Amino acid sequence: MFELICNVLLWLGLLYSYFFNVLEAPIPDRTARNPYTLKPDVWPKAIIILLLICIAINIFNIIRKNKNNPEFSLDALLSIRARMCMGIALILAASFVLEPFGYMVTCVLVLFLYGLLLGQTHVIRLAFMSIILTLVLYVVFSVLLSVNLPRGTIPELRNFSLYIESIVASVKSAIM
Amino acid sequence: MTTWELFTNGFSVLMDPYTFMMVVFAIIVGTIFGALPGVSATMAVALGLPFTYSMQPIPAIVFLVAVYCSSITGGSITAILFKIPGVPSSAPTTFDGYPMAQRGEAGKALGIALGSSAIGGLVSALAMLTLSPQLTQAALSFSPSDIFAITFMGLSILTCLDSKNILRTLISGLLGLLLACVGQDPMYAVQRLTFGSGELIAGLEMIPVLIGIFAVTEVLKQTKKRDKLSAEEGTASVNTKMPSFKEWWGIKWLLARCSVIGTIIGILPGAGATIASFLCYSSETKLSKYPEKFGTGIIDGIAASETANNAATGGAMVPLLSLGIPGGNAAAVMMSALVLKGVQLGPLLLVNQPQYLSATFASMVVTNILMVVVAIGIAKIFAQILAVPYSYLGPIIIMLAIIGSYATNMSIADVKIMAIAGVIGLIISACHFNSAALILGLVLGVICEGNFSRAYTISRANLVNMFARPVAGTLMAVSFVLLIWPIVSQLFKKSEK
Repeated sequence: MFELICNVLLWLGLLYSYFFNVLEAPIPDRTARNPYTLKPDVWPKAIIILLLICIAINIFNIIRKNKNNPEFSLDALLSIRARMCMGIALILAASFVLEPFGYMVTCVLVLFLYGLLLGQTHVIRLAFMSIILTLVLYVVFSVLLSVNLPRGTIPELRNFSLYIESIVASVKSAIM
Repeated sequence: MTTWELFTNGFSVLMDPYTFMMVVFAIIVGTIFGALPGVSATMAVALGLPFTYSMQPIPAIVFLVAVYCSSITGGSITAILFKIPGVPSSAPTTFDGYPMAQRGEAGKALGIALGSSAIGGLVSALAMLTLSPQLTQAALSFSPSDIFAITFMGLSILTCLDSKNILRTLISGLLGLLLACVGQDPMYAVQRLTFGSGELIAGLEMIPVLIGIFAVTEVLKQTKKRDKLSAEEGTASVNTKMPSFKEWWGIKWLLARCSVIGTIIGILPGAGATIASFLCYSSETKLSKYPEKFGTGIIDGIAASETANNAATGGAMVPLLSLGIPGGNAAAVMMSALVLKGVQLGPLLLVNQPQYLSATFASMVVTNILMVVVAIGIAKIFAQILAVPYSYLGPIIIMLAIIGSYATNMSIADVKIMAIAGVIGLIISACHFNSAALILGLVLGVICEGNFSRAYTISRANLVNMFARPVAGTLMAVSFVLLIWPIVSQLFKKSEK
């Protein structure tokens, strides 16, 4: 059932895109007048038409194959594990809080919370490892590879990131 | 200067202990950079630039070439162990490399990847030295319709990737082609399919989508499985047993074919390692006696992808040195560094400064040989990571995915794209679509559309003229046969039943 719902939603989404989103800006006049150019909407529209045909056949196949299948119901949707949904929520949340929270806080939170989600029961060890791994990844990417990792836009968290960075910088200068 | 003199001069340059040490250092740096997700070959060469500021021109070119070659190889390490392609050209390596690592054959998969990378690199280095001017002239005569036909041939794998699910694989490939249309169109910069999002105007960045669909989806799947597994359990047993001579001998023709195709694709301006690895994976699937085994974890798939992408590195050096035309982004970065050092890239290089051509050749040969030893050492260290409990490894992969996506353009939007791609990857898997086909469409879509548009305009909107050229016409005919044959053969089988 999940597969059928996804296919139907995809088909409707593509149909909507065909009419409203393939071109979101006017074609330049010179291009529109030139008979020898491929207009910017031709290629995506051709792909969408092929997709609409293929997905329609796929929907027909799914319905035909599951006609007498008693398990083909909405109940199957409930079998999606809560743990996986939490995983999806955590990853999506991490991508959205990276900018306001900054790398340091986001990384510690992701390592700790996802570790718990994956069944780690040694909470103190996990918390300690999360902090250590955050610093290791920071040193590899920011110090060694010069990747400017986000510091956060919330003032308190930004100051915290700067404080940790200053400690790492002082350790680096002491070593060098 | 004769070819033999170029050959001997190149190696005499590398006999200098300082230059040799630079090559070894560059291999270590390049392999690690390549293995880190989000650090592409271009970025690895760019990161290597500061090291060359104080160097003489020859050690500088030798250093950059070594970083370039080893970073392409390094990309296969994380592709095999964690399903995270370190560089886009390693994406096909995940199809067979990751299943092998999951079966506990990580050592064999890595051995094949590194060995075939070395073979591809050596063949292309020889081609670069001996055939540079001729190959460049041939490649420059390729028109957009020829390049479109080559990429279309790469797409013809779609009906072969999963013979039991041809329709779903086709849908996945078409979805990939459609995703490649997001952003501005390649000819006139008209916005398409952005749904009003300013972050999508520049199009979908390849690395975040690859990382999301391969790595994040895998962690999410593991999250579901962990209900039954212990949190202290590692991902797979680590077996560092290397492939046998018999196994190498069994793929000798595959290595030869992919080395040649990879070199030729590398020479073509605008193509490069990514298209080479996909095209060779595709062609080997068609030529194989057991195409159904591709994608389940066989050495042929890894060897095809890795031989081709490393062969393309040598190919990319051919137009760079002979004509001063960079074959790809990494070659463009290298070009800027060499021009700064006073190197006259172009037809006069062989006349006025032949030592640079010979140094590049020698560096590529030595890098590809030493790389096997160095990269096996690095890969063994990486392979031990598989024994780490998944409750630590999973979150580390998520963070590497976040940092890797961010580092590509220092863009938070790329991180969001990666996260959404991860969820889409999960839905694709639940709907029995094919993520490899989607990636194939996405990678080749941009090149396909751009060249089709150019060819269409050049042929004055005449499709017959467009494919009247011998190369384009032949390749398109072969592609159509390859695309349709699996569908026709299935229909025949059904009618026989």
